[in-house]
Amino acid sequence: MILARRTSMYMILIALATLFISPFGWLVITALKNTSELAAYPLHWTPDKWQWSNFSRALTQIPYLAYARNSLTIAVIYSVLVTLSSAWAGFGFARLRARGKGFLFGVLLSTMMMPAMITLIPTYIIFAKTGMVDTYWPWVLWGLSGAPYLIFLFRQFFANMPRELEEAAIIDGCGYGRIFWRIFLPQSWPVLATSLVLSFTWTWGDYIAPSLLLSADHTTLAVAVATEYVTPSTGAPINNLLAAGAVMYIIPVLLLFLVLQKGFVTGSSTSGLK
Amino acid sequence: MTRRGFLTTSAGVAAAATGGGLLSGCAGSVSSDKSGGKSGAKAAVTIMSNGTELGEPAAIKAAEKALGLKLTILKYDLTRLTAMLTAGSPPDIVRGQGAVDAPYLAAHGVAQDLDDYFAKSSILKVGDLDPINDVWRYDGTTQGKGPRYGMAKDYSQDNMIWYNTGLFDQAGVENPSDTVPMTYDEVFEKGKALTRTGKKAKVYGLSFAGNTANFLTMIASQGGQLFTDDFSAVDFSSPEGIKALTWYLKLAKAGITPSIANPDPNGWDWPTFQANRMAMATDGYWFGGMVATDKKSAETARFAPAPQFGSTRVSSCSGATGYWMPKAGKNKDAAWAAYEYFLGGAPAKARAESGGGLPALKSLRPLLPQTEAYQKQAYAVQERELPHFSVISFTPYARLDALDAVVNQVMPAAIKGDLAVGKLADQLNSGINKQLANGKKLVK
Repeated sequence: MILARRTSMYMILIALATLFISPFGWLVITALKNTSELAAYPLHWTPDKWQWSNFSRALTQIPYLAYARNSLTIAVIYSVLVTLSSAWAGFGFARLRARGKGFLFGVLLSTMMMPAMITLIPTYIIFAKTGMVDTYWPWVLWGLSGAPYLIFLFRQFFANMPRELEEAAIIDGCGYGRIFWRIFLPQSWPVLATSLVLSFTWTWGDYIAPSLLLSADHTTLAVAVATEYVTPSTGAPINNLLAAGAVMYIIPVLLLFLVLQKGFVTGSSTSGLK
Repeated sequence: MTRRGFLTTSAGVAAAATGGGLLSGCAGSVSSDKSGGKSGAKAAVTIMSNGTELGEPAAIKAAEKALGLKLTILKYDLTRLTAMLTAGSPPDIVRGQGAVDAPYLAAHGVAQDLDDYFAKSSILKVGDLDPINDVWRYDGTTQGKGPRYGMAKDYSQDNMIWYNTGLFDQAGVENPSDTVPMTYDEVFEKGKALTRTGKKAKVYGLSFAGNTANFLTMIASQGGQLFTDDFSAVDFSSPEGIKALTWYLKLAKAGITPSIANPDPNGWDWPTFQANRMAMATDGYWFGGMVATDKKSAETARFAPAPQFGSTRVSSCSGATGYWMPKAGKNKDAAWAAYEYFLGGAPAKARAESGGGLPALKSLRPLLPQTEAYQKQAYAVQERELPHFSVISFTPYARLDALDAVVNQVMPAAIKGDLAVGKLADQLNSGINKQLANGKKLVK
């Protein structure tokens, strides 16, 4: 009975996993077809001849690695800065007393409800007036200003740490800066991993900000993959190369997740979000 | 550190990092330019374009060298363009579709009148401009007259038809004539005979978009007009409008064409045409640029005149994609030099030779490809079609996207059979006229 129940449970899980992974699987298959097979009917589930060269063509059709470098630079700048600034702010909200702290935290959380599209044009105008368009400074500033969700995550994690830890440090002569750097931050690696994965993924996958703020020569892989696999004469999309480019585009995020997944899972489950 | 110290340090770190240059904020270039986009005393021109339609990065570098200018290419993005115009720092040159954008841009006062530049130019001579460039003219009431606000990079007469002779032979259907346009009823009958459904072969007889631009042409062909005289409203309920909608609904309901209710999974015509699954594709001359990429398709692809709906032979262009210069641009003389280069220089010649569209300068027409059999046939058909081009005026009060959004919202119910033609026309009138009324308030 137990075996039957467990078997049926696994069958359902396998079916769901297959369902969710199928779009990616289809992307990979598309990346391995030639152009005439893409629209064939009846559908070709697998390519007649596997076009592995599509991946090398995708790398050379556009300056793929240069765009990847741009994406990586922005994602690293933003994810490191936003993780540190959010941890810093989260620590303040969790451990320090200040007048209006609760109200400020409420305001901070309410900004999560605001769609980013609303602030898009004013944001552009600010960066244009300050000469930051077509530079990476916006990502530096966004990183330094923290992210509401990550501040919330850190605040919940730090709030759950025992008060005795902080009191013992103060008795030993520690100030709040050292308490944060030497005691709380090293303890919070699961949230740090979560924050790094999330913020890296946000930036790596962001299409709107780079397309708004960067020129074609300085833009990121997200924009380039979506727009540059086209025939020069007609501007028509080259779907199999686009799919190959998209498959390779996913790899860094997958690798980051695989490396940090233990911390990511622990961080999500131990930061008061249970 | 005290509590106060912690808070002070927080603010200090942010300020120091921002002001002190903890990190280099310079964007990395993907081209070989190591200056990071700061090339000394060179004047800079910013162009908002699409993909590589003005050239690959190497071609842009060659243009910089030829012009002695620093060129920055931005991806065309309406949100970014709006933001740039609002910030008072627009690009110097912007992509646009003359046939539907010119009245809107001129009426809203954002586009520069280029007459003086054209008058002085030795590259873009007014006498050499193809008549298509008239869609970029607007005198405040009529499109096709008045100052020039832009110029096409290339164009096509968009209701012409590419067809697959192999599929016509298989179905035993006679090929369209090279000289006499089909009627829309003939197109329907041929499309129906060519359509194949079933497990083994699914072939669309025809592709026909059923959008605002198509209806505009179909109504004009009957001697009617979609817009009122002042362009502040549309009338799909006119006899001409009802006839056009009825024909399209019959086509879409029969599954002869992909439609908004039953879209082609490939998203556009070429992959389906290339896979021998589309017998007729309503696409202009530019589609020949795609045919050139596939030898098998080149053997069977042929070109036909635009079909005729009413008594008037109308073969319009609903794109005329080209470039305009914002009135608020800061660097107009340098921008004009780049404008001349891309629309009349080496890149324009390369575009003409590719066959990806008809050149917007008469002098470039002999460069169109005529090597392959299909290219010779398409060229001959296209030459005979040119005299039937005319400008069909578009409204200055809304963008085409806004009108098509209403069509796409209302049309599926009609295609699926829930909405009668009369009611469809009423809903189109109501939705589009609301857009136009709102738009009119914004034009002084």
